Amino acid sequence: MTTMTAQATQVYSIFIKASPEQIWEAITTPEFTHRYFHGTHVTVAADTYRCVDGDGNAMIDASVSEYEPPRRLVHTWLALFDPEQAAEQPSRVTWEIEAQEDGTTLLTVVHDQLEGAPKTAESVSGTGWMYVLSGLKTLLETGEPLAG
Amino acid sequence: MDDDQVFKALADPTRRHLLDRLFERDGRTLTELESELEMTRFGVMKHLRVLEDAGLVVPRRQGREKLHHLNPVPIRLIHDRWIDKYAEHRVAALADLKQELEEETA
Repeated sequence: MTTMTAQATQVYSIFIKASPEQIWEAITTPEFTHRYFHGTHVTVAADTYRCVDGDGNAMIDASVSEYEPPRRLVHTWLALFDPEQAAEQPSRVTWEIEAQEDGTTLLTVVHDQLEGAPKTAESVSGTGWMYVLSGLKTLLETGEPLAG
Repeated sequence: MDDDQVFKALADPTRRHLLDRLFERDGRTLTELESELEMTRFGVMKHLRVLEDAGLVVPRRQGREKLHHLNPVPIRLIHDRWIDKYAEHRVAALADLKQELEEETA
């Protein structure tokens, strides 16, 4: 297994057979997120980002800086579930949603500004974001979660 | 982005080399990538284009520069669809064989 320092800018993109509106709803409402985002309930509005576990404990501390449904969402990211990551600098997550001509939608997640957050960078790389995005794709395309 | 495009993109040593360079250090310009390959700028651009079409490389503008980022998601999906399935089967077959042989000697 090759080990290396995780990148400070990470890009993940995936084609999903769903409309931009469906994808927007799936990333901003808790009824969807708890089925693919490690069981967390995420609520996003123009001035709110809330991510809690089943018991209501905050998992991510974030504030929304760009909110353009159903195309673009930008928010900060500070993981609270791990004390080492919680002690790092906040990073930034950008969601870009682009409808394609063939009826699919390209979803791109850019997690950047990770220079001051090496533990976070490591945690979201590898299978981190890929697991979340594969789960989101499976949920939207089949109506069933990837795992469980 | 379909599997055919991903397999086609991976079926070339130069393109695999480009992916390895991006894996080492992501977010590079064409000029940086070109400097590591004995190939014309046009040749590198052509290969990057195939990788972009397959979704394996995502170009992003940063200021005046165009940076190329590795997108590992298509490889993951190929892995889930094509590698996992057969590797698991192989492992299961070996487990069955072991069990059968052990039963015979018991």
